[in-house]
Amino acid sequence: MEDTIVSVGIDIGTSTTQLVFSRLILKNMASLVSVPQIKIMAKEVIFTSEVHQTPLLSATEIDSPAVRAIVEAEYKRAGMTPEHVDTGAVIITGETARKSNASEVLKTLSGLAGEFVVATAGPALESIIAGKGAHADALSRERGAVVANLDIGGGTTNIAVFKNGEVIDTCCMDIGGRLVKFNEKGCVSYSSHKVGQLAQHLGLSLSQMQPLSTQQMQGLAEAMATILAQVLGCEPATELTRIMATDRLLSLDYAIDYISFSGGVAECMNQENSTPYENPLIFGDLGVYLGRALAQSAIGKRYQIVEAEQTIRATVVGAGSHTTSISGSTISYASQALPLQNLPVLKFSAEEEALPYWDWEQAIGKKLHWFALEEEQQVPALAFRGPKAPGFDAIQEIAGAIIRAMGPRLEPGVPLVVVVENDLAKALGQALQAITGPTRLIVCIDAIAVNQGDYIDIGTPVAHGNVVPVIVKTLALGY
Amino acid sequence: MISEQQIKSIIDEVIKTLSPGAEGVGGGSHMAPAETMTATTAASQNNQPPEEESFLEDLAAVDLRKELLVPGANNPEMYLKLKETTPARLGIWHCGPRPLTRSLLRFRADHAVAQDAVFTDVSDEFLASIGVETIQSCCRDKDEFLTRPDLGRKLPEDQGKKLQAICPENATVQIYIADGLSSTAVETNAMDTYRALVQGLKGMGIEPNPLFFLRYGRVPSMDVISELITPKITVLLIGERPGLATGESMSCYMAYESSTAQPESNRTVISNIHKGGTPAVEAGAHIAGVVKKMLEQKASGLNLKL
Repeated sequence: MEDTIVSVGIDIGTSTTQLVFSRLILKNMASLVSVPQIKIMAKEVIFTSEVHQTPLLSATEIDSPAVRAIVEAEYKRAGMTPEHVDTGAVIITGETARKSNASEVLKTLSGLAGEFVVATAGPALESIIAGKGAHADALSRERGAVVANLDIGGGTTNIAVFKNGEVIDTCCMDIGGRLVKFNEKGCVSYSSHKVGQLAQHLGLSLSQMQPLSTQQMQGLAEAMATILAQVLGCEPATELTRIMATDRLLSLDYAIDYISFSGGVAECMNQENSTPYENPLIFGDLGVYLGRALAQSAIGKRYQIVEAEQTIRATVVGAGSHTTSISGSTISYASQALPLQNLPVLKFSAEEEALPYWDWEQAIGKKLHWFALEEEQQVPALAFRGPKAPGFDAIQEIAGAIIRAMGPRLEPGVPLVVVVENDLAKALGQALQAITGPTRLIVCIDAIAVNQGDYIDIGTPVAHGNVVPVIVKTLALGY
Repeated sequence: MISEQQIKSIIDEVIKTLSPGAEGVGGGSHMAPAETMTATTAASQNNQPPEEESFLEDLAAVDLRKELLVPGANNPEMYLKLKETTPARLGIWHCGPRPLTRSLLRFRADHAVAQDAVFTDVSDEFLASIGVETIQSCCRDKDEFLTRPDLGRKLPEDQGKKLQAICPENATVQIYIADGLSSTAVETNAMDTYRALVQGLKGMGIEPNPLFFLRYGRVPSMDVISELITPKITVLLIGERPGLATGESMSCYMAYESSTAQPESNRTVISNIHKGGTPAVEAGAHIAGVVKKMLEQKASGLNLKL
């Protein structure tokens, strides 16, 4: 039994907009005589779009009709219609994410993309997606090593650190090739606020339409490269480096084995590659200088650099191929309840989960109360690891506690969503249904790991209804 | 033939003679007497009171997937991650003709667990605790059961009558448990699977026939049983022949209108039900779904589209 999911990835970055279609091949790995075990066997990119300049209305606004036109044209070129697409992610990355009309852009696109699942990204998710697209996660799994991927785009540098295939740290820096733009005469036509602060430290002023000398441009690029070297622990981090972080720096409580670079600026790093860029201002920004400065920075002297499998396309490939995972193969769901989008996750901590089952009701209730204070009135998905191979009575006790705690908060018609890691979702879903009766819609899935603060999308069933596609949107790692 | 009990008492005798103060071999321990002796000698040298001997580690209780015996491994985390994916004995440091004593003993302990699973009977306490009637195949005892597979498929006339008294005819679903080749599997998993299955069936509005236990039963017994009480679907939970990975693995065989005239390919099977495979409750819930499809399609085995 083989089945495929077609997934689209659309990345609207600070400087470029791209699209890919990927095919995820699902296969039942279990023998004929076992409970099915459906896994994603292979992921292949089946169509890659041109790299388009992100259309902007002004320095702070994306031209959403123009973005839509680009996407429509690429759908046509690929011979795809929204009905072909099962899942996917649209992400607005880099500096653009802080621009005023991001949500409007997403709205414009989600209509076009049919029922597929749309993800807005925060810096942590962007870093993870780019790192996976660059294959840093696969490399760390294959070599059993710690690999840090730096995705250096126009507006931001997204860093994700993977250990043995799992993400262990992320950070995002306001460093990119297009934070300063130049006209053909080498005069500054745009500069971001943060890069202005950086320039001030160097005794430069980036006023509109003032020219910069080659040395000054190089100096600015070198200062950016030094900041990234500091983030990676090549030298102690200065106050300036902290200022240039969007949220936090890497914790560095691990030893990095390899570094890979992706993003548009990575294309400018390879010396041989950069010969076509004899005119460093070919893109009208600092990208080529930044690439050269990075190639000569302390990073390469301290760490072993490995080539990323994708550079400028890392984020879009990551969005297309690596955002969708699938649930376990024995699950319970009410088809009418799917798809579900942007469901906040309420995750039991290890300590809470260690409580005896009769205390779960109170623990869940407390968390729900606290959640209601923090967030909207939306009822979250309840997530926990769950016991390994529990007995029938344990399942009934867990189900009872969940219903007693969550039942009163659920409006009629609102589905009860439970997400667990260990293999028990079918039995648990059935036990929940036995308590609520057939009217309550229940979605209970397993083999999905989530953290407190994540959001989750659950798609419509695939592979003969055995599994559901899931997108976990990590907004912050559980550091 | 020497019974297990007799062997134990002989070992006890030998140990008592060799090392005064030792209390003999514990219930599940199948360690060679020489190994036990070394341990007890060491204990008496440390002047520990004899009852402290219970500290002897139960090797069979160690989760092999979490045990890495390679000293100073370069990346133990990754090694353990690899081990998590397989029951194979990876990371045992020495291999070939000279394994570590620990690995060798574990191998023998696992073999002993498998033998126990085959040779012990499903206990009366267990059957009393679940409160079901027992019927017995044409086999008179364990030896006959193991040596005469043909008899494990049949019911003597009086047992057939007893069955008909317990179970009404023409039910939608008949579930029963048989010991098969692992009593351990049945005692560990059968009730969790059964209860989850019944919960699932009730959710679909199906009330199954009363449960019973078949002693010395083999898989094709379901054909004979089905001919006697003619349920639409017969579901058999039966202990699997144990291997070295686990002695607790149970299978579920199902057939639509099962009979001795039906080919083997009409049976649907779900195997590998145990805590390291498909957890018992999850299997029960899954089986309920399979039963539903059988009723819808009026088919089982290779004719059933899952």
